[in-house]
Amino acid sequence: MFWKVRLPLLLTALVGLVPIVTFFLTDRVPLIGPAVPFVRDRVERYMIIIAGFALLLGVVNVLQGNLRRIERRLPGWPFAISLLAGLLVMGVFGILSAFRVGPFQGLLATPDGRATPFYWMTIHMFNPLQAAMFSLLAFYIASAAFRSFRVRNVEATILLTAAFVVMLGRTPLGEYVLAWIPGGERWVPRLTDWIMAVPNTAAQRGVIIGAALGAASLSLRVILGIERSYLGLKGE
Amino acid sequence: MGNLIGIWIGAFLTLCVFSFLYRDNPFFRFAESLFAGVSLGYYIGIVAANTFAPNLVRPLVQDFRHNAHLLVPLLLGLNLYTRFIPRIAWLARLSLAVYIAYFVGINMVQKLHGEVVPQVGATLLRPIGGALTPIDNLVLIVGVLAVLVYFYFSAEHRGAVGAISRLGIWYLMLGFGAAFGYTVMGRVSLLIGRMNYLFIDLVRTTAQNL
Amino acid sequence: MGLERLLQIDRRILYLLIALGTLIPILLPIGFPVSTTRPTERFFEKIESLGPDDVVLASFDYGPTTAPENAPMAEAILRHCFTRRIKVVVIALFPLGGVTMAGQELDLIRAEYPALREGEDYAFLGYKDGAQAAMKQMGVDFAAVFPADHAGRPLGELPLMTRVRNYDDIALIVSLSTNVIAEYWVNLVNAQFRTPVAVGATAVSAPKYYAYLDAGQMLGLLGGVKGASEYERLLLDGYPELRPMYRKPGVYNAMKGMDAQTIDHAIIMLFILLGNVAFFQMRRRAGRGGDASGGAART
Repeated sequence: MFWKVRLPLLLTALVGLVPIVTFFLTDRVPLIGPAVPFVRDRVERYMIIIAGFALLLGVVNVLQGNLRRIERRLPGWPFAISLLAGLLVMGVFGILSAFRVGPFQGLLATPDGRATPFYWMTIHMFNPLQAAMFSLLAFYIASAAFRSFRVRNVEATILLTAAFVVMLGRTPLGEYVLAWIPGGERWVPRLTDWIMAVPNTAAQRGVIIGAALGAASLSLRVILGIERSYLGLKGE
Repeated sequence: MGNLIGIWIGAFLTLCVFSFLYRDNPFFRFAESLFAGVSLGYYIGIVAANTFAPNLVRPLVQDFRHNAHLLVPLLLGLNLYTRFIPRIAWLARLSLAVYIAYFVGINMVQKLHGEVVPQVGATLLRPIGGALTPIDNLVLIVGVLAVLVYFYFSAEHRGAVGAISRLGIWYLMLGFGAAFGYTVMGRVSLLIGRMNYLFIDLVRTTAQNL
Repeated sequence: MGLERLLQIDRRILYLLIALGTLIPILLPIGFPVSTTRPTERFFEKIESLGPDDVVLASFDYGPTTAPENAPMAEAILRHCFTRRIKVVVIALFPLGGVTMAGQELDLIRAEYPALREGEDYAFLGYKDGAQAAMKQMGVDFAAVFPADHAGRPLGELPLMTRVRNYDDIALIVSLSTNVIAEYWVNLVNAQFRTPVAVGATAVSAPKYYAYLDAGQMLGLLGGVKGASEYERLLLDGYPELRPMYRKPGVYNAMKGMDAQTIDHAIIMLFILLGNVAFFQMRRRAGRGGDASGGAART
């Protein structure tokens, strides 16, 4: 019980307090002063390294899941092969590049402009795949806006009006649409600037304050051990 | 030549992804699985070359005596992977506790000191003669308060609270409308990039290499 | 009745219109004029106020997914800095492509400024994990976070980095960002170390950042392709000698991107309008026919 539950919670409380306490204390505090920057700096340097390990946890998960899928011939198993092939080739290239083994001289182009193997895969496979996947969103947003954006009530009308003004005002269309009125070419852009600077700022600020207070209270709950779901435990 | 082959591979993969717009098909699923695999492989390379090699491995190998303390993050990091061994999976909680706790602690300071205090201060202390007119300042202060009242769910939204909450919703609608307009701009620009790649970069690179 | 049938249109026709609306202005540039806004002007004016003794920290916090928005910002800002001989320290904190984007942009800019010396005029330190932890430690010592640059050279061997120890030696932090990392620069670094921060954000994030701009936590803001095109406009107005870089045929920049942006916005707005007109027609018909459902369009 102590090793599996209490010790992790104790570690959470101790380590969680480090950035908070060191924010308020400096090295001029009597007795413990010199320890403050030492602890803070050590913890920060360690977290950079541990974050690297944490980022790669997903790799092991995906490896396990896809190997299982191939082994049991689950639906879609041929695509698991392409996933693992991409992962292993790129990953091995990356590790060799990290330690500059043979032709794997780093992650980027060599000083004379030639692409290293890892860089070649990055610019011809990683970049196009990433960009293409997200560019699909342009089609989806157009389709969703056409099918779902309906003026059913006051709130939807306000939303649509603001959206139209901003979409006009942030393109040259905003200048052309009222240009037939003397001085009218500045009305839509000025209205857009006002919407962004005043009501939009007010709304976003309210959301930021509310979300920040919520996040701070959740942080406190985690540090105090009330919230334990991140450890796979039920809360108090 | 490598560049020519590469850009045609990139164009093929781009078209495989775009084929989903017509309907789901094996080409898209191949591109999707390759996308996941290559992205994870990229993570491995980036972390190995930019964090592990310079901040962990090289200091330990080149000067172990002065850098022996780096065994602490090494062991804590490796310990995270015990979660994949069922018998000792509980050990990973120790590393997870340390990792999560630090970022939770720093997040708390960021949110309170870096967001709540300056944002509340900027609302209450509006500069006279600043960029906004006095009426704009008033509209902004009223808006922030109305939105905060809307998010206060501990009191029923009736009467005066209900009316202020309604005003808050209207401000939120203005904000979300503006956000929608910007989101359209953001999504469209991603497509512009891909079209430029397929119809300009591909053609130019092919012409240069032939 | 005709407009109501529009609601049943195959979505692939809409996709085709969007694709054509994007492609045609790329192949046949229109050259719409670009007007500037105050958040961009403030960003530009800050870099205008800096000189050869100042150092800018440029953080590449975006990947290939938002390169069409962030890359033109990066190019314009780097050109601005190097034209004014401002020193630049380049880092990346976004794991999915930040360091690659930084490398690509530096390769491009190096070809345009052949006199630039790495290690003296600029330093490229690479990527680091643990964004907030790295940001906090850089406030104490850059070398503790980046013991070496991206090519493996120890920081002590780079002349530029011998005079840049921490944020006290940085005149401005520029974050070119696709996500929350720009907020960390503001609510952690600017809040705790008081170093000015200016952000080149994607259009999706930009509306939120107006709150930080108003509070003085951000010094300047570029929002999406529009913001990038505004910065390019200001740069070309101030430095006409850079015009050849923006006139290369077939090379993408934000001002060219705004042509396609404008057409696509018009298409989307037109379809939203038509959809609503059809919706109201259906509702009116249903109301006259006494339909209990109210005739709301199925989506």
